[in-house]
Amino acid sequence: MSDLVLSTAQLEVKRAPSGIGSLRIVQTACILVIALVIVSPLLMLFVASLKDDRFQILADMGSFRAFWVSDPTLSNFMEVGNFSGQLAFGRYLMNSLIILAGTVGFGLVVNSMAGFVLAWGSLRGRALILSLVIALYVIPQESIIMPLVIMVSRAGITDTFAVQIVPWVASPLYIYLFYQFFAQLPKELFEAAQIDGASVFRIYRSIFLPLSLPALATVSILMGIEAWNQYLWPILVTQTDYARPIAVAIATFFGQDSIYWDRAMAASVLMMIPILALYIAFQRWFVSSFVGSAVKG
Amino acid sequence: MTLQQSALPTTMAAARPASRRDKSRLYQEIGMLAPAVILLTIFLIVPFLLSFWTAMTNQPLVPRPTPVRFIGFNNFLRILRDDLFWTSLWNVSRFTLWILPIQCGLAFATALLLHQKLPFRNFFRGLFFLPAITSMVVVCVIWGTLFQYPTGPLNQVIGFLSGGSIQPVDWLGDPDWAMFSIVLLSAWQAYGFQMIVYLAGLQGIPDELYDAARIDGANAFQRFWHVTMPGLRPTHVFVLVITTIQAFKLYTQVAILTQGGPKSSTETVVHYMVRSGFEEQKLGHASAVSVILFLIVLVIALLQRQLLRRYDV
Repeated sequence: MSDLVLSTAQLEVKRAPSGIGSLRIVQTACILVIALVIVSPLLMLFVASLKDDRFQILADMGSFRAFWVSDPTLSNFMEVGNFSGQLAFGRYLMNSLIILAGTVGFGLVVNSMAGFVLAWGSLRGRALILSLVIALYVIPQESIIMPLVIMVSRAGITDTFAVQIVPWVASPLYIYLFYQFFAQLPKELFEAAQIDGASVFRIYRSIFLPLSLPALATVSILMGIEAWNQYLWPILVTQTDYARPIAVAIATFFGQDSIYWDRAMAASVLMMIPILALYIAFQRWFVSSFVGSAVKG
Repeated sequence: MTLQQSALPTTMAAARPASRRDKSRLYQEIGMLAPAVILLTIFLIVPFLLSFWTAMTNQPLVPRPTPVRFIGFNNFLRILRDDLFWTSLWNVSRFTLWILPIQCGLAFATALLLHQKLPFRNFFRGLFFLPAITSMVVVCVIWGTLFQYPTGPLNQVIGFLSGGSIQPVDWLGDPDWAMFSIVLLSAWQAYGFQMIVYLAGLQGIPDELYDAARIDGANAFQRFWHVTMPGLRPTHVFVLVITTIQAFKLYTQVAILTQGGPKSSTETVVHYMVRSGFEEQKLGHASAVSVILFLIVLVIALLQRQLLRRYDV
């Protein structure tokens, strides 16, 4: 509680110059402690994945050596980066990337078209459809998953990429985010194009879509993270290596052979690299897209 | 998350009389809306309605020669009489009560700190968000390692800090500690998201309010209590509600690290549902659990709407 009081006192730095030095030191110290707690587990993961000997990894864990590797090696990654066999994490990684690309690719098209029509269309039922979409948002994935499994197994499409992509392409949240973005664009944009004789699809495709990069980025990031981290659904619908995503593969491997830290960690790093690379490249987009999904509306 | 319906923008075309062009426009609109509507119907509305129906049958996972029978509310009665269900409900409630103060409190405190003009604050903001983009499976690998008993890193750090006076804890293996361990790793993973939401909330409070309070002679604590806190009310509601809903859906961490054990101390509602559906092959029973889960989430969401309306958002 004292932290809160301290930090609010800091709100008026410009007005009250006395005692700032010590206050700032306390605040910086707090931040550094939090940073240590947040970052050290991740750092440990990356460092351990570069160590060869798993017994050494375990022995190093309790000391500062957990954050230091004297002779880094990629041998763990060589072991788990296979495309067949027991440690085919290279293949699982590919599978995850395919599922991610499919979900995001189709999702952007389907949800943005729907959002556009809901915002600018002349259909009579669109207000009703919009309220329905909003209402559907409340249903958690967990409560439809049981009947969905029966449906897809009756349809005989389990253990495919399609079964991991198609059910999650259309989403109330993303339709709504697109709707909201399109609806705030100026009316003149639509009317001018219409007078020029452009069709609805043309207006969407050539005028509104190029303007909606922020919305496209937000939805790509949120959908991508979601598709990448899916766990419950793929364990229910994948039985073989064919389309198994890396999240399920790691969890299965970790559950069976929890002594093979080195391999589990290398596979985990493998799973983090794509997201981490995107995050570092588009950090601002990432953070603001999460905020956008949260506070808009 | 609040999705409120805002006014639909209207276009001139809507008012014009029908012509051939309007008709082709209508077909185009239907064509653009159709994929989403069809997919939502097949993969959201139908399974949702089906879950209510399946919940009232003795549907097994693998089709059997005997036909599926309608058994009314028997599944629900069986669930309500099942101690394990109540244990799982109690466990997720316990989880919620732990994670709300730890995760949201830490997120709030960090947001207040980072709202100041500290050096490198954008760097720290980005850093603290890292766990939020880390897959829960990876988080489980990391924390499964940290939690090792008796010589895992966490036990060694605690032993070092306490000078050896605190005995090593069997984090995931001790029924008294297992759920708390799950709380720790979950808070670590998701806290960055709440922090970002709080930061956005803090930025939304106009500086003039602070200036006015200052002119009125309010000290730092009074400004915090009478300007910052009321300004953050919708943010608090949002963060608390979203965290509670997430907590009731707790599954992945538990499935990977403890499978509900030891002694059912980390059994959760979703884990109970998946187990009864796929290990015991009773899909009717599992669907009834999913209906109960939906009702819980619905009540929390409606509560949020009510609270936000009261705060006039």
